[in-house]
Amino acid sequence: MRRAASRKADAPATVYRVRRYYAVALIAGLALLLFLTLARTPYVRSALETPDKKIDVVGWMWAWDFQADGQSVGHPLVLPARKLVEFAVTSKDVNHGFGIYDPDGRLVAQTQAMPGYVNHLRVRFEEPGTYHVLCLEYCGAAHTIMMAEISVQ
Amino acid sequence: MSARAETREPAARDQRLVATWLTTMLAVFLLMVVLGITMRLSQGAVVSLSFPDFYAIMTMHGLGMAGSLFAAGIAMVWFVAARYARPSRAAMWIAYALFVAGAVALLVATLVGKFAAGWYALYPLPFLKATWPSWATGATIIALMAMGLAWLVAQLDILRALAAEYGIGRMFAWDRFRRQDGAPVPAAVLIASVCAVAGILGTIVGAATLMMYLFKWFAPATEFDPLLLKNSMFMFGHTIVNVAMYCGICVIYELMPGFTGRPWKVTRTVVLAWNATLLFILFAYFHHLYMDFAQPLALQVLGQIASYGSAVPATAVTVFGLGSQIHRSGLRWSFVPAAFTLGILGWVLGGITAVVDSTIAVNLVFHNTLWVPAHFHTYFLVGYVLILLGFLFQLLRSGAERLAKVGLAVMVAGGYTFVLMFFLGGMDSVPRRFATYQTIPYPWLVERATELAKWGAGAGSVFLVGALIFCVSLVLGRRRSANPDE
Ligand SMILES: [Cu+2]
Repeated sequence: MRRAASRKADAPATVYRVRRYYAVALIAGLALLLFLTLARTPYVRSALETPDKKIDVVGWMWAWDFQADGQSVGHPLVLPARKLVEFAVTSKDVNHGFGIYDPDGRLVAQTQAMPGYVNHLRVRFEEPGTYHVLCLEYCGAAHTIMMAEISVQ
Repeated sequence: MSARAETREPAARDQRLVATWLTTMLAVFLLMVVLGITMRLSQGAVVSLSFPDFYAIMTMHGLGMAGSLFAAGIAMVWFVAARYARPSRAAMWIAYALFVAGAVALLVATLVGKFAAGWYALYPLPFLKATWPSWATGATIIALMAMGLAWLVAQLDILRALAAEYGIGRMFAWDRFRRQDGAPVPAAVLIASVCAVAGILGTIVGAATLMMYLFKWFAPATEFDPLLLKNSMFMFGHTIVNVAMYCGICVIYELMPGFTGRPWKVTRTVVLAWNATLLFILFAYFHHLYMDFAQPLALQVLGQIASYGSAVPATAVTVFGLGSQIHRSGLRWSFVPAAFTLGILGWVLGGITAVVDSTIAVNLVFHNTLWVPAHFHTYFLVGYVLILLGFLFQLLRSGAERLAKVGLAVMVAGGYTFVLMFFLGGMDSVPRRFATYQTIPYPWLVERATELAKWGAGAGSVFLVGALIFCVSLVLGRRRSANPDE
């Protein structure tokens, strides 16, 4: 009671009421945002399905190699449209970034290519056309020319 | 353990110490701005740099900015600590000497030796197919260790001084949750404590990482785990860059009441928010590894929760606190409160856009695009730096208000335009850390990215002009106010 009275002396009670609403709204908003966005992470995306095609990707300074069933498949990599493709991405030397750009030049999916680890990225190419892989992790002098082409048919 | 709560004006020697630190950092900052503009000019195809040159500049720019701004933050926190406790001047001078030695060595290693592995020198990049001599790698590692040691010396001493004055529990204001009869710890002391502890932990992890790098440099056959070193490097880098911002917030909590005539209250909400920050800040760095799918899912989720948890509560209470400081206080908008308030605005905008990127689902298409430099340039360039300049203006008791305000306006105009170009680039999937956009296989994207870079270089130059105007205001204003009765 005394505390409430002394509070009134230095700030109007509305300030404290506003602050309480502000805090509650903030926490509720954050919780909702976390809940909604965490459900949309790339790791759980289409996790329950079996991929139609598996491609092993090896990056090194400064090129990408695509392999299917242990065989190098050359460039450009040809993939079917509207099928679930799993890229198993790794690196032979340093860290690279495996970033897939769609035919309009928009980044649609990515993962890191790390030495000693394999990252599994699942992508469904909705539109046929020419996609490009750009290296998105700085990996040395020729980083900007480390590229590959994917032809989706 | 005295009950002395009143502020004590730092001695002239304290002022000189902090002023020396900050003017040195300001000089380094301006040099780094020039390097930044050079990079944007290269991306804008205005100047032509070789790839090794571009990446050497990029490495120096990143390390130089993060390092000098963090060091400036430590000096500001030291100033606050010196008002309430007794940190050691000698330790701080030793730290200064170590830092300057490290900075000079780093300039030589990058701009002369062309060390170009990026600020975070992702293992094992510094040791493979290098376009630079091996000595440059070694010199960089040792230079960074000298800087890390400088930070550690300064921060440990600040922590010691605050703990001696307030005790471990009270410096984090934990007593607010028990009995509330004693006087609360000053708001700035709470934040200084959070900064010191988080900064020390980050620096120690960095030191351990650099030890491994040094080991690898001496014994190239040694192999380390790239994922482990990626974790430790980002823990170090993310934490100190984040703490730098909070060091700026610390001086706002300390100095703003001088302009509004109101104390900055340490309510339970404030205590809770900053303690949450101290906890979460140590795990927020996981958001740098979202695209490392091999990392366990739990850590990725923790990364998003910790990113939200370290950024949002501290921002929310600070904005609320600033609002209740200013609202109907009759505040006169002189340079310092104006710079502080604008600085908070830049922090908030940079923070919100960081939270967007720290959302895993968004990060999938924003990671390593220009969105990332966009958000951290926002909270540094038009946030933290403005706070730093406000503090420096106050510290040097400059009297050139009007000229400083002109500088501020020019910096804000240039700075926001500069970061906007990064944001637009990020939304268009322009990759970051590209020496040139000419190799991108989409003609429209090449044109767009090049255009944005050109505008970025222009806006960055405007910012630089504003910063130079501010520097002139410091010199002129000091001369004006340097009369004997001051
Ligand atoms: Cu690469």
